[in-house]
Amino acid sequence: MTPAPTAGGAAAPPAPPRAAGPLPGLGRAAWLAARRLAMLTVLLAAVFAAIELLPGDAANATSERGETAADMAARRAALGLDRPVVERFWDWMTGLPAGDLGTTAHGQPVTSVLAGPFPNTLLLGTLALTASILGALALGSWAALRPGGRTDRTIAVLSTAAFALPEFVLSVALLLVFSLWTGWLPAVTLTGADGTPASWDMLLLPALALAVPQIGWNTRIVRGALADQAALPHVRAAVLDGLPRHRILTHHMLPGALPAIAVSTATSAGMLLGGAVVVETLFNYPGIGAVLSGAIADRDTPLVAGVVAATGAAISILLLLADLVRERVLRERP
Amino acid sequence: MSVTRRELLWATAGIGAAGALAACAGSKGGSGSAAGVASGSANEQPRTGGTLKVGALGRASAITRDPHGTQANESDYLIISLLYDTLTVPGDKTNTAARLAASWKPSEDLRTWRFTLADGATFHDGTPVTAEDVVWSLRRLRATPSGKSRLPGIQPEGIQAEDARTVVLVSDYANADLPLLTRLTTFVLKKDTKDDALAGAPGTGPFTLDWYRDGNARLVRNDNWYGGKVLLDAVEVRIFESPQAMANALLAGQIDVASNVGAVAARTAETRKDIQILRRPNDMAMPIVMRAADGPFADAKVREALRLSVDRDAMVKQVLSGYGTVGNDILGTGDPAYAKDIPQRKRDLDRARQLLAEAGFDTARTYDLITTEDIAGLAESATLFATQVREAGVRINVVKQDSKVFWDATWLKAPLYTSYWGTNDSVVFFASKTMLSDAGQNEAGWQEPSFDEAYRTAMATADEAARTTLLHQLQEIEYARSGYLLWGMADGIDLAGSAVRDLPRLPGYGRVQLEKTWLAR
Repeated sequence: MTPAPTAGGAAAPPAPPRAAGPLPGLGRAAWLAARRLAMLTVLLAAVFAAIELLPGDAANATSERGETAADMAARRAALGLDRPVVERFWDWMTGLPAGDLGTTAHGQPVTSVLAGPFPNTLLLGTLALTASILGALALGSWAALRPGGRTDRTIAVLSTAAFALPEFVLSVALLLVFSLWTGWLPAVTLTGADGTPASWDMLLLPALALAVPQIGWNTRIVRGALADQAALPHVRAAVLDGLPRHRILTHHMLPGALPAIAVSTATSAGMLLGGAVVVETLFNYPGIGAVLSGAIADRDTPLVAGVVAATGAAISILLLLADLVRERVLRERP
Repeated sequence: MSVTRRELLWATAGIGAAGALAACAGSKGGSGSAAGVASGSANEQPRTGGTLKVGALGRASAITRDPHGTQANESDYLIISLLYDTLTVPGDKTNTAARLAASWKPSEDLRTWRFTLADGATFHDGTPVTAEDVVWSLRRLRATPSGKSRLPGIQPEGIQAEDARTVVLVSDYANADLPLLTRLTTFVLKKDTKDDALAGAPGTGPFTLDWYRDGNARLVRNDNWYGGKVLLDAVEVRIFESPQAMANALLAGQIDVASNVGAVAARTAETRKDIQILRRPNDMAMPIVMRAADGPFADAKVREALRLSVDRDAMVKQVLSGYGTVGNDILGTGDPAYAKDIPQRKRDLDRARQLLAEAGFDTARTYDLITTEDIAGLAESATLFATQVREAGVRINVVKQDSKVFWDATWLKAPLYTSYWGTNDSVVFFASKTMLSDAGQNEAGWQEPSFDEAYRTAMATADEAARTTLLHQLQEIEYARSGYLLWGMADGIDLAGSAVRDLPRLPGYGRVQLEKTWLAR
């Protein structure tokens, strides 16, 4: 990084960079990507360390009752657990660029264990994320256009409540109402021969269970960001000019609110994947959440790391996009 | 930790579902489909055809397709058992029934056993099964990390083919119950099947593989099965992470059978007349282990006092929701040789207090009872037990331990802890595995020369009637002095839709034999 110009003396604050930051264009994107990559690496190291700290290891998690100490040692050696954790982490990381995520404690390649569940979770997550963005934009805008009114206050209360609702309470409620009572939707997801849900309507309940809390969260963000925009002079001017409300919203308020919304969407993606562990189990959705909870129970480090790497990469890409949106909007801002 | 969370989910859904089902019951009852279907009438003729959708528990992370691997998932074990055959299987009249081995015969000294393969047994690709295939498979099993405990007393070189149809197993010691060892894990593959070819490796079982994906599978009838006519066209196995989701799938009609789904699900389904609740008795033992080798429970009188302090009926009612039977401190309750005539031990607090006083037991101290949440009801059993023995003057503090810590630090070592066992149809199994003085899994550290003697004599006795008498003596000693308090046996519980007939009623892994199951629709 080049030092900021300080012409005119130390006392003068540096002018905010108008165009690009220290690195222009593609270089900037690469730097942001590198930062996300470094974070992911740190996260993976933390995963290895955390599982090391849990009591027990993959050898005794996968053994049968009554195996002798020698049998256990053989298992440990077969799984490579007799080597120091740093070495195992290094081996795992160096395999990563080649797409080798190691072998699970049960002897399966991690990539094959994740091959079915990961795309399923991405599908469910994308569906839920799309629903939460659309829902939040609609509700947030609706509320922001009527600041202080009854609609605004109702939406404020409901969105807070929705966000505070634990996924499993919501899931159980949805299940009872839409499946066991009415029979409208399937209660659980059954997997077909191709590893995906056997029919599309099996996606609805889990997607809804994941989306509702995020709609609550994002509605608050959208509403807040729009309120900030509404206070800006150019928006006030547009109002005084008598422009239609929807035009003010789409042309004057939303563009400025975009960075905040983008960041909150990316954060939502992370929370969605967290909620997926519970929701996938309840709806028997064949996703990565179920794999993760089982892998942690088995102290299956390569598999946990594989899940974290895959989801981490997905979230990192979203965060990177959010960063780029933010950069772009800030750059264009007069 | 995950178990706690799961149980929380369970409880939540249980409360909700109870209300939901009460609401459903009215409408379903009126539809007319429910009347009298629950048990299926006895004069129905078995029909062929239909696809049975079975839900079974399993974790996506623990999936294995190796018939000789560690099958942590019930779903994997079910799929493997439908595709591959073991030499013998659990039976109802005798606890070892013929499968790929049609018959077996011991030598005079009960050390050498000859197994004759079933006539007409072929692999799914049409090639006949030979003794070579069996020997190769058993040796492969023996070479796994758990091979020694799966085939105890049998060395790799003790597994030989005598001719094309005869397999010889030689035991290190006389073992009248050796065929018992060949029941659950001796899946037979073709000789020289490569580890990376396991996915498509042909089996000999009643069903052949149509497709497999991530723990789910569809299997179709093997019309050429040597074991008789298979009734179902196909079986679809679906893996379920949680018993609750599996129960919901059944309640919503998405699957036909929820295998081993548990008592909580059964309770929620009780109001649904269109659902069969199938109880398989003697499925799970949850004994309390009192260390006999040393420590506060080393005196047999103290152990007797605790056995007299527990209220067995209340335990079964509260811990198992009534889905179980009272135990009599002898393990292996499902064995035809189980000593039913030994008087049922009942609660007797006066006698308990007297025994404690005689033994000089320190009732001022508080003793830890260590438990886990590995299986449903285990921690609850410890808590209720602690409350009950308080009435006899024994103070017990229940300590819940993480499963990994428990198996490392507590099991086989602590003075007082809960254990659990899922195979309960053999008195000999428990005697040899957990009660002989030198048994590797002697949970209570119990040393009883008269018991060891009774066991060894029984195992070296070829005469059936004489052995039964000896096994009875063995159980009397166990009843009187062992380190176990077995208050009850949990039923295995399956839920099934109204059209399902003749599901296996055996405890434990006997539940995977689906070749005689059929659909009345």
